[in-house]
Amino acid sequence: MMKESDLTGKVYDIQGFSVQDGPGIRTTVFLKGCPLRCPWCHSPESQSFASQLSWMAMRCIGVEKCGKCLTACKKGAITVGESTESIGTGEKIKLVHVNRSLCDDCGDCTKACYPGGLSICGEDYQVDDLLKRLCRDIPFYKQSGGGVTVSGGEALSQPEFILALLKGLKEQGVHTALDTTGFTDFKNIVAVLPYVDLFLYDLKHMDSQQHKKVIGVPNERILENAKKIARAGGKLQIRIPIIPSFNDSEENLRLTGEFCKALGDAVTLVQILPYHNMGVAKYLRISDDPKIFETEPPTEEKIQNLKEILESFVLKVTVH
Amino acid sequence: MYKFKPATERIIKMHQLIRDRVIQTDAERALITTESYKRNEHVLPMIKRPRAIYDVCANMTVRVEDFEIIVGNRSKNFCGSGVEPEWEGEGWIPSMIENGIWTLQDDGLYHNPEGEELKLAISPEDVEALGSIRDYWKDRTITTTANAWQPEGYDELCKLEVCANAPGAPLMMMTAGHLTPGFQKIINVGYGAIRKEALDFMDTHRNNLMGDDLNKYMFYNAASIVCDAAVIMIQRYSEACLEKAKVCQDETRRDELLKMADGLLWISKNPARNFWEACQAVIMYQLFLALESKYPACSFGRFDQYTWPFLKADLEAKRLTMDEAQEIVDAFFLKSNCFYGAAPEFVAQITGIGNTYQHTTVGGIDPETGEDATNPVTYMALETIGRLKLHDPTISLRVNKNTPDKLWECALETSKLVGGLPLFQNDEIIIPGLMKELGFSLEDARNYALIGCQEITGSGNDYSACNGIAPPYASIHYGVVLNMAINNGVNAFNGQKCSVKKGYLYEMKSFEEVKEAFKAVASYITKAQVSINNYTEYLTTQYAPLAGLSISMEGCMESGKDATWGGCKYNSYGGTATGLATVADSLNTIKYMVFDKKLCTARELYDAVMANWEGFEDLRQQILHEVPHYGNADPYADEQMRWVCDTYYDICQQCYSTRTRHFKAGLYSASDHVFQGYHTWATPDGRKTGEALADATSPAQGRDINGPTAVCTSACCYDQSKFMDGLALNIRIHPSALSRDDGVEKLRDMTKTYLNNGGMEIQYNVVSTETMRAAQADPQSYRDLVVRIAGYSAYFVELNADCQNDIIRRTENTL
Repeated sequence: MMKESDLTGKVYDIQGFSVQDGPGIRTTVFLKGCPLRCPWCHSPESQSFASQLSWMAMRCIGVEKCGKCLTACKKGAITVGESTESIGTGEKIKLVHVNRSLCDDCGDCTKACYPGGLSICGEDYQVDDLLKRLCRDIPFYKQSGGGVTVSGGEALSQPEFILALLKGLKEQGVHTALDTTGFTDFKNIVAVLPYVDLFLYDLKHMDSQQHKKVIGVPNERILENAKKIARAGGKLQIRIPIIPSFNDSEENLRLTGEFCKALGDAVTLVQILPYHNMGVAKYLRISDDPKIFETEPPTEEKIQNLKEILESFVLKVTVH
Repeated sequence: MYKFKPATERIIKMHQLIRDRVIQTDAERALITTESYKRNEHVLPMIKRPRAIYDVCANMTVRVEDFEIIVGNRSKNFCGSGVEPEWEGEGWIPSMIENGIWTLQDDGLYHNPEGEELKLAISPEDVEALGSIRDYWKDRTITTTANAWQPEGYDELCKLEVCANAPGAPLMMMTAGHLTPGFQKIINVGYGAIRKEALDFMDTHRNNLMGDDLNKYMFYNAASIVCDAAVIMIQRYSEACLEKAKVCQDETRRDELLKMADGLLWISKNPARNFWEACQAVIMYQLFLALESKYPACSFGRFDQYTWPFLKADLEAKRLTMDEAQEIVDAFFLKSNCFYGAAPEFVAQITGIGNTYQHTTVGGIDPETGEDATNPVTYMALETIGRLKLHDPTISLRVNKNTPDKLWECALETSKLVGGLPLFQNDEIIIPGLMKELGFSLEDARNYALIGCQEITGSGNDYSACNGIAPPYASIHYGVVLNMAINNGVNAFNGQKCSVKKGYLYEMKSFEEVKEAFKAVASYITKAQVSINNYTEYLTTQYAPLAGLSISMEGCMESGKDATWGGCKYNSYGGTATGLATVADSLNTIKYMVFDKKLCTARELYDAVMANWEGFEDLRQQILHEVPHYGNADPYADEQMRWVCDTYYDICQQCYSTRTRHFKAGLYSASDHVFQGYHTWATPDGRKTGEALADATSPAQGRDINGPTAVCTSACCYDQSKFMDGLALNIRIHPSALSRDDGVEKLRDMTKTYLNNGGMEIQYNVVSTETMRAAQADPQSYRDLVVRIAGYSAYFVELNADCQNDIIRRTENTL
């Protein structure tokens, strides 16, 4: 059997001084791959389980000065693209164009791209290396009551890896939070339960049909897992993204509030996450033809109203 | 959450007047000084200078504005400016008019060009008056005396343009400063008692001056004259209040003016009796020092500590309410803003528009008990800065393990409103540092204060001469040093040759050889600059002794020695290095690219740097994105930062003067990293010619990509407690990171962790790129936006474009 410390997981980002993903100062590690397809997802690069070529046009310095990727790509997926003004220098430059149908995300071009316009999103980490990186900030965690948040994608989709990771963190005395959609086999949750101090648990819609229609999966398993976590003594911080015309009805919030209340003491906090459109630009980095969901963010008044509904169930509610 | 309260109407009015000021320079001080010097033509400077300040104090205009509760004016006009002819003759303004740069406007005054951020004016009569003294001062100023002869080697140093000394620039153009005067002594002892001490010595030694008595006699004579000068000035302010009261229709204000007149008369000779008198006495002494000799960076020291006993007594006796006290503190800091003088555009930009460098220290511990000494005045100082959005004076908050949470909260809420203020200073590093590095007693170390940008000094007992003896300062441009180290002693920017030649980068066989070359050139240049500093100090003792300052400094009256002669209890001086992160990243680049990974040859890297990266953009990009950089908690990269800092410190340890054995190392600059960048050739880290260096001890702009905790971790890679000339770490935080209720707590905890791990100082800009871009597009709507560049905070819209862009280029830490 493979040693736990040799397990590898696919990580697409590590964020230090992360102050919105649980208590205190935290480092959040984002794992790649998610079984859900929320149209509003602000981290589209987190959805696929495979590493992907990411293309940030603003970093390209132009084929005139560089153009190394054109020859580095053996698949013919990179060609000379449109002209634009360089953000750094204001010069007229010609960008490159990535033909996604020819690209197999091999990453050859990224090795030639020094400005970092082309990069591979999703890096394989061994547990030990990741632990070393995460434990660097232990003094900050200790001072602030913070720790490490494991997020995704859906982190529980890499169950062995995160089990080893969470175990390692607990051995170092680090507070752990697991940010999850809850859409997983309960056995994966049971395995990590002793090593998770706090679940950041998403509830998107109480109506299973709506849930399935928009996100692609029904909600029964998610709701059931939340109840099981609560019964097993786990702590839950419920997170509700508010997506206009999807789940922002008063009725849905009332049902959500009722559900949270029924979970009892397990729920430490309910967070409202109003929809924002900052993820839109990210879609263009990984796809030529992105399905971009865009809508107006909810008004402050609306959010306040929904907050009050949740509070009527004697819940502690905050807005992000 | 800490909430700021609104200020009173008259405070708001005064603030507006300061914010909208046009600084009008007049010739009054210049004319009085000139007449005085003429009368005392052949009297020694030791006596001549005090006589001149006496004449100024006895004759210049005194003003009391209707809205003022703290008075003191350094020239004829409110927020006006004077001229110091003993240093600069007729000053720099007349030539601006002769050259048609300043023009006569409809208001009958000459004004500087409209595009300049600082608004300046002068009347035709004053121009004429200044013209009338030009011939007298032609060969008589201290500056011309200093310029007449210099030690050999000065010429080489100037031509290299590797420090502030430059061809054609004066060797010495202003008096020494950069310290904390003895304000406690002024308010607790008073001029009367100090004067008596001087006269007692003179009386007992009349016609009996043996041995060292003569030196003392000269000093005490000067001391008695400056005391007389201060007394007459303060009494004249008392009279002005009386005059105002006589014609005042409003009864409340009349009573207030009478009380002010009475208080001023009292403090002209005696110790302060209450909080208002203490504050007013501090301002009077600061004004006196500004008139005596334009001391740069005369800081207020531990304002909350020396004024609190007075406020406490007032509150207990119910003589004053907390709101009234807060108004006095508002008035105090607004008044200190009025001491900002007219300066040429480039000087104003380097030193920061509106920056008086009257750094104020609050918080910290009690010198005797070691207990946390936070008191209500600590909060009042922050309240004033926050509610008036004042960028000046700089406020340092001394923190320690017992600093109350409420004070942390108040301070961080202030940071959110006013960029970079307060600075957080770590008692636990600085106090032992002062004892270890400079031989301070525990009690005196516990009483330290901050001055200037963020230099460390004692309180009223330390001739600390941070950043060198006198302007131009002791900052070495280590980016240029590095260039000469890899270019056989030649500064590629101007082709000038240094006498230390260590070969070319491509001839160096190992990374050790590269480091040795840097060390050799750095050592030579630093010692050359300190030698010039030592010469400047020699000139200062002869031509510019500081009697007005010495009367308050512990040790001077006791020993009968002027501060410049070493009379103070503690003596030291310092230099400063900014942007060592640029040097460290450059060394990293050489190590990584050439020696460790062999990704390019030394010749390729050398050619690319010497070509200012023209034709080598791909190599530059590879360096920017692949080489590990300081500021990312990467031990590989941080090792070079530690080496550079240690090397610089070791060189400083080898420097000293007759007055002191301590030449302190410091890691900071006002905004010099931008201006040094203008004439620093491209550096191996990928920086282009002309671009700014990294600021102070911060990572290079945009190279820290792992968040602020990584910066904090990297910044502790070297022993900060060795850098007793002070250091600064700038971190920029996006406001959204602090938008939630607990955001401020998290920032506090990050700060605490950094300080616990060996961090000495940190300061925050809580501002987004979007806001700064919007302010660039629409300055009028963002007049109150305050940011910290490195060594000072400023209104963003008053910074020049390069300084603005420098802050924008820094990493923005979001979520």
